[in-house]
Amino acid sequence: MGISSIVIPESATAADYPPIPEVDNLTSFFWEGVANHQLLILRCGDCGTYIHYPRPICPKCYSMDNLAPERVSGRGTIYSHTTTVQPFHPYFVDKVPYNLIVVALEEDENIRITSNLVDLPNDDIRIGMPVEVTFQEVAPGLTLPLFKLA
Amino acid sequence: MAKSDRVAAIGVGYSTTGRRTGLNRRQLVAQAVTAAMRDCGITADQIDGVVLHAGIAGAEPPGLDRIDALDVAQMFGMMPISFYNSDQGGPAYIHAAISAIAAIQSGQAHTVLTVRVINQRLSSEQERDSVQGPLFVPGDSQFTQPFGSVTPIQTISALPAQRHMERYGTTEEQFGAHVISQRANAALNDDAIMRDPLTMDDYLNSRFVSKPVRLLDCDYPVDSASAIIFTTEERAHDFAKKPVFVESASLSATDVLPAGFEKVLDMNHNSPFHAAELMWGRTDLKPADVDCAQLYDGFTIIVFQWLEALGFCGEGESGPFVESGATKLGGSLPVNTDGGACNVGRRHGANFCIESIRQLRGNESGARQVKDAEVAVWANAVGPFSGAVLMTSS
Repeated sequence: MGISSIVIPESATAADYPPIPEVDNLTSFFWEGVANHQLLILRCGDCGTYIHYPRPICPKCYSMDNLAPERVSGRGTIYSHTTTVQPFHPYFVDKVPYNLIVVALEEDENIRITSNLVDLPNDDIRIGMPVEVTFQEVAPGLTLPLFKLA
Repeated sequence: MAKSDRVAAIGVGYSTTGRRTGLNRRQLVAQAVTAAMRDCGITADQIDGVVLHAGIAGAEPPGLDRIDALDVAQMFGMMPISFYNSDQGGPAYIHAAISAIAAIQSGQAHTVLTVRVINQRLSSEQERDSVQGPLFVPGDSQFTQPFGSVTPIQTISALPAQRHMERYGTTEEQFGAHVISQRANAALNDDAIMRDPLTMDDYLNSRFVSKPVRLLDCDYPVDSASAIIFTTEERAHDFAKKPVFVESASLSATDVLPAGFEKVLDMNHNSPFHAAELMWGRTDLKPADVDCAQLYDGFTIIVFQWLEALGFCGEGESGPFVESGATKLGGSLPVNTDGGACNVGRRHGANFCIESIRQLRGNESGARQVKDAEVAVWANAVGPFSGAVLMTSS
């Protein structure tokens, strides 16, 4: 069950893990995909609309029975970015400064993925840069979809 | 709308405001409501509606007392009342104001007390103390927080500001010009907390929180309550202060929280543009008629979007507009004449309503009075939800 089976050691503290996804019925496919190094986005089989964050109904055609995860290219462009200097969570205290990016997906630029860029100095990040997904285990048992330059 | 059907604002009041006041929410509310009732000489039996907005930014301090609209009505002996509304979400104080205006327009109540109360510590303390062990995040936030998107400073402010800079060439100095301008206004306001003048060097030397956002771009967390009383035009002249009229008002939502700030389709063109379109569509007045604008400044970039959304400058042109000095006192459109939430403290929009009313009363703003102010606009929130209200002096 992918990330839903993540085991946190009793001794783990907030400094050891970033906020951890609490998987639910609608989101388990996404995190199982990540565990298998695939980026999956919910898509309506009736009208083709991508739906992210996951919802039980298509906002375009109201289909409820024909929604399924679809593997996307993992490519996109940087919509915006910031370099965070002040940590607001114990895990990030020794990570600052760290970048945060919002990626507009190639399949549909209105689908936005929040993530981090892994292979470029923070000050060199620019809007519009082409990126592609890469999967990294950031803490024991916790893999996240991050991005690198395409 | 026929003139006689308008809603009027008749009384305003603030509580003690500051950091670590030691006052709980009931105490803060009691002070602010008392001040607003005294401001216009109204009695509890003349009020038949209460709207309270009590949400706070970030995690609640431990032990915070519970309060809702009925608690307020009961404390002041207003029962029975015919309209009440309490909520934690939405675009802060303007949600309460629009609710009250709509209740009066529909006849559910004739005189509605609106209250905004915030009781909170420093943002950094809240964030730190809210985390005990490893944190599991449910809902939409599971797609944002694991990557370190954990504070509105990043999502409401840094991401849109960065995009505005790269898209339109907006500069740090243009953000700084606004910060300096509204601090100068605060120096003229006895209710302001931050009153020392700032230079551009002060701004540029202010530490980054999340680039390009500096500490001086962020509003200032405080304990505070604000109260504003609305009534019908017919009743408005029965009270001590000159009434100020709601010319048009609008509320907009274009997406959901908590993670909606990161997926608004256009980070520089979202609900404020919708709210502005609605507001201007409900009046014959035009942007050129506005004498002063009180624009929500939870972060500097929000003011910039509102200037564009409300049509005071072209889209993408807020940087040069601010840099030109137009938004200073004495400029063509003085903005945040009370100093804004960065300087009067985070009152979550209520200060912009109160400052608009004071400017339009014409004799309460002292050295920061905008000469012959007849039309004011105030606005609250940004991103997935927001609202705007246009007010007139006659």
